[in-house]
Amino acid sequence: MNRRYFIYMFISLVWVSFLTGCWNRKEMNELAIVLAAGIDKVDDRYRFSAQVVDPGQVSSRKGGGGGRAPATLYTEEADTIFEAVRKITRISPRKLYFSHLRIFVIDESLAKEGMAEVLDFLNRDHEIRSDFYIVVSKGVKAEDTLKILTAVETIPANQLFSSLDASERNWSPSMTVTIDSLIDDLISDGKNPVLTGLRVVGELETGKSKRNVENIDPPGRLRYSGLAVFKKDRLIGWLNEDESRGYNFIMDNVKSSVGNVTCPGEGKVIGEVIRANTVVKGMVYRGRPQVNINVRIEGNVGEVECATLDLTKKDTIRELEKKMGKKIGKSMESVIEKAQNSYKSDIFGFGKAIRRSNPKAWKTLKKGWDEEYFTDLRVTINVDYKIRGTGTMGKSFLNEMK
Amino acid sequence: MDNPNTSFQTLFDNLEQNLRQIKQTLGNSGDIVIRTIPLSRHGKRMITLIYIDGMADKKLVNDFIVESLMSNSNSAEDKDDLDKNGFEDDVQSLKNSVLALGSINDLTDFEAVYNAVLSGDTVILIDGYTAGMSADTKGWKDRGVTEPASENVVRGPREGFSESIGINIALIRRKIKSPDLRMDKKQIGRVTRTEIGIMYVKSIANDKIVKEVHARLDRIDIDGILESGYIEELIQDSNFTPFPTVFNTERPDVVAAELLEGKVAILVDGTPYTLIVPAPFISFLHAAEDYYQRADISSFIRILRFMGIFISLLGPSLYIAITNFHQELLPTQLLIGLAAQREDIPFPAFIEAFIMEATFEILREAGVRMPKYIGAAVSIVGTLVIGSAAVEAGVVSAVMVIVVSLTAISSFVIPAYNVAIAFRMLRFPMMGLAASFGLFGIMFGIILLILHLCSLRTFGVPYMSPFAPLTPADQKDTLVRFPHWLMRTRPRLANQKNVNRLNPAPSRKSRE
Repeated sequence: MNRRYFIYMFISLVWVSFLTGCWNRKEMNELAIVLAAGIDKVDDRYRFSAQVVDPGQVSSRKGGGGGRAPATLYTEEADTIFEAVRKITRISPRKLYFSHLRIFVIDESLAKEGMAEVLDFLNRDHEIRSDFYIVVSKGVKAEDTLKILTAVETIPANQLFSSLDASERNWSPSMTVTIDSLIDDLISDGKNPVLTGLRVVGELETGKSKRNVENIDPPGRLRYSGLAVFKKDRLIGWLNEDESRGYNFIMDNVKSSVGNVTCPGEGKVIGEVIRANTVVKGMVYRGRPQVNINVRIEGNVGEVECATLDLTKKDTIRELEKKMGKKIGKSMESVIEKAQNSYKSDIFGFGKAIRRSNPKAWKTLKKGWDEEYFTDLRVTINVDYKIRGTGTMGKSFLNEMK
Repeated sequence: MDNPNTSFQTLFDNLEQNLRQIKQTLGNSGDIVIRTIPLSRHGKRMITLIYIDGMADKKLVNDFIVESLMSNSNSAEDKDDLDKNGFEDDVQSLKNSVLALGSINDLTDFEAVYNAVLSGDTVILIDGYTAGMSADTKGWKDRGVTEPASENVVRGPREGFSESIGINIALIRRKIKSPDLRMDKKQIGRVTRTEIGIMYVKSIANDKIVKEVHARLDRIDIDGILESGYIEELIQDSNFTPFPTVFNTERPDVVAAELLEGKVAILVDGTPYTLIVPAPFISFLHAAEDYYQRADISSFIRILRFMGIFISLLGPSLYIAITNFHQELLPTQLLIGLAAQREDIPFPAFIEAFIMEATFEILREAGVRMPKYIGAAVSIVGTLVIGSAAVEAGVVSAVMVIVVSLTAISSFVIPAYNVAIAFRMLRFPMMGLAASFGLFGIMFGIILLILHLCSLRTFGVPYMSPFAPLTPADQKDTLVRFPHWLMRTRPRLANQKNVNRLNPAPSRKSRE
């Protein structure tokens, strides 16, 4: 009796498991893998573009690399982003799959009006992970940046992702910003966000066609240039390359970078930063906030273009260290000055530093920080540049060439 | 046979009557040789030899029984007082001086006669005497001691059991020359009357387990035992499990090692496969060679083996689960690559995997059953069909072929064939769970599996010991193998009485 009951239970359980119908199951070839997405504003509606990879064209299997582009762009307009995303199924054979999103481009004009509403969807949707980078298109529609074909990395989104990663690590005027850190900057007082700008250089129209990658020198290219300065969620201006580097030094965001100083005579010496560490300390002194920035940099001499320099001498190295430190200090000063005077936006988080050191004073400073206190803020910069190596040579052979 | 039952009919003192009865019972089979010769030259007294042609060694019968009886009858010519003397003396003198054979037993009833004749002995019946003798003349063609086919080693002894229980026992005796090594004989099978030997080392084995083995074997009432598999199924603890709870091997060195750990071996006549109980799960994952190679090598190989189990159980299910439910777990490039391969595949991944796994199992079984010469052809066709043609035809994706072949090869690293099969069978429900619930399903399956494994017992010993219950001292010979000089104690699971494997080292204090 008992046994029969058990068997009936077991059989019905087995059948019940068939009824579930494999909930939420999706085969890989039922996915439209979105690697890059962009958002524009057309009139009052959002225009959402998704760059979807065409796996058959990317893989190295035979038949790949045929006539089709490695990715395809789906674009839809709607009153809200989510509606636009779902509307794309009208033109796409598969539902968009966002887990592998690498890069998200926000249009410059939209950023100028305020981008906060856009971010909610990116942060809320369960499929979207938080490890993609956000950039702002500069002088071009976000949609158009997703139309450029690239060589080497056949999928443009991968090119954008890897290039941003590499340039942040080795060149330093650009920076990677993920959705979490961006939202963190937006909600915390005493810090305004910054995003890297993305431009299309060369011919946009040719860049969109397959001819672009057929050239050894593609006519249309994607290029990161400078940082976009925000005030809250509104874009208010751009930093040039030098200022961007200064900004990254202040933010302790430099892993490696390259910069030059002039020789005693003519020509230049180029230093490579191999290690940099920045400590920003805020304090309130007699009711007035001030900030101390201490930067410790270790570098190598990467290139010497002048004949007069004798790198085997201690004094020369000292001299170079001083100059290079000064140069970096200057670019830091210039970016602070620009932020204080032109943009009136604390993109450095100085306010945060002061709040950390003196939370009581911060309560009164908080109101009108950007407009009042930040613009008058006294910032002392102290750069300690140490040259650790001169490469595989001491004196340049240029010395002996005379 | 040495179970004198009152119902057994005792021998008559009339030879004619005896022979008639025997012929009637054995049905005049053609291979039974009944030969009657006079005991003395003039004597009326006759003596009869009964043996089975082919089972008894003819040379032994001729040289040592017929010959000596003949010469005896010649020399006994002048002794006419045989009739006067007691039969006892007569038989005794035959036994003592005439028959030049090692083992001679007395027989009193017909049942014993049949037993002796049918197991290859020669039965000697003497007219006027109610007791016969059986002479051990067993001798049939034997396969001999050859290399074990199913358990290969790179380093280690190359001898394997054969079908004859006597030789098998000798092989074990040769490894353990201790008076403590005991052998209890039994006969099981109403019709086949198969000889069973129970071996254990008295000073090490747990008496309770030995007693339990005897009890379980005594309870068997079946017409025939043709292989140790019959015994295994009849004495195992749990019937509703894919996992074996009785270990089998055809290597004498493995049996010897297990006996030294306090286990009990059950030898069955007619098969090279010897059973060993108790058999916890971990013993199926250890190969003989683990103890012959250096400890580090063995440990490395064992770790490989555990990886192999993991892959063979979960390989296809993980693939199905990740590609169907958790695509975000894959690196982007890999996802695109996999998606590209799947572009033209008409089936869902589960069906694809199922087809491939089933094809593989069919090929494997075909390869085993085929004559050796055709087996190679099967594997060639198999590789071609599965490997490239199926991918080319767009029926399955190339990754699936990789997954399935990796899984298949992994399952072969499990030394015990029956456990490998168990995991292969469990792979299918796992795939089903993965296809319906993703990684949650796999986790659910693993939890069920572990619960099931922990609920099993083998001759009173928990199947998952020494993991559950955890015995820290026994971990030295589980996932890795410690060097022999560190394995001081025997596993605790089966024996508690003779624990030290090595002589306990003198403690530091006493050395000073």
